[in-house]
Amino acid sequence: MEAHGEPAVVELKFPCKPEFVGVARLAILGVASRMKFSYDQVEDVRLAVGEACTTSVEWGAKNKRDETDITVRSTISDTKLTIDIFDQAGDRHESQKDEADQEPESLGALLITLLVDEVTVTPIDGGTHVKMVKYAG
Amino acid sequence: MNFGIDTYNLENGVPVIKLEGEVDVYTAPQLKQQMISLLESGTKQIVIDLTKVEYFDSTALGVLIGGLKRMRERDGNLSLICPNPRIRRVFEITGLDKVFDIYNSVDDARTGIELVS
Repeated sequence: MEAHGEPAVVELKFPCKPEFVGVARLAILGVASRMKFSYDQVEDVRLAVGEACTTSVEWGAKNKRDETDITVRSTISDTKLTIDIFDQAGDRHESQKDEADQEPESLGALLITLLVDEVTVTPIDGGTHVKMVKYAG
Repeated sequence: MNFGIDTYNLENGVPVIKLEGEVDVYTAPQLKQQMISLLESGTKQIVIDLTKVEYFDSTALGVLIGGLKRMRERDGNLSLICPNPRIRRVFEITGLDKVFDIYNSVDDARTGIELVS
């Protein structure tokens, strides 16, 4: 899937619920595996997208906004894959964590930073926009 | 969803939670529940077998870290079996490979636990 000229865009919209995070991972696996990525790089992208969507789902649950949707937009060019993840899961404010879990959210953020080349997290109206870039080759 | 969980005991009585498939935000609560049941039984050793795991995310890591913390509080341990380099990489890049005792097989885990005990 090489996009010559204008970048190709693949977009997936799904409910902000745990059972759909696997669907997003499958979709991004399909997109990334058709680009000039190594097997490891494809896995990196899959894990990074999974982590970003998981964070959205967790905030959606905390903020009682799990009836909203998450949109994953992949923009494919010859040199890079840009993934924009938009949620409507509400504000990501500090809240009390479950003591049994050791801050999985910060672990998720750490993983994303290590797995993709660029990541930005921006609050938007009603939710969050996470932008990730992975360079091919 | 591709996920399986099964618990059995080694010959020495150490419980093993054997996972299969994708352990993520959707399925990790089942791992957590199983671990809580074992913790309540008072065991001092738990082994988590990740041999057949294909995907492991931060939610699952969080459950393991929580379990390890509880086990260490009672002078016990939570060990992992993880021969799959792709899954092991998640532990390596987060530095958690230095926190957990990670074995390559059930035999290695059995030997390792006996040596420590």
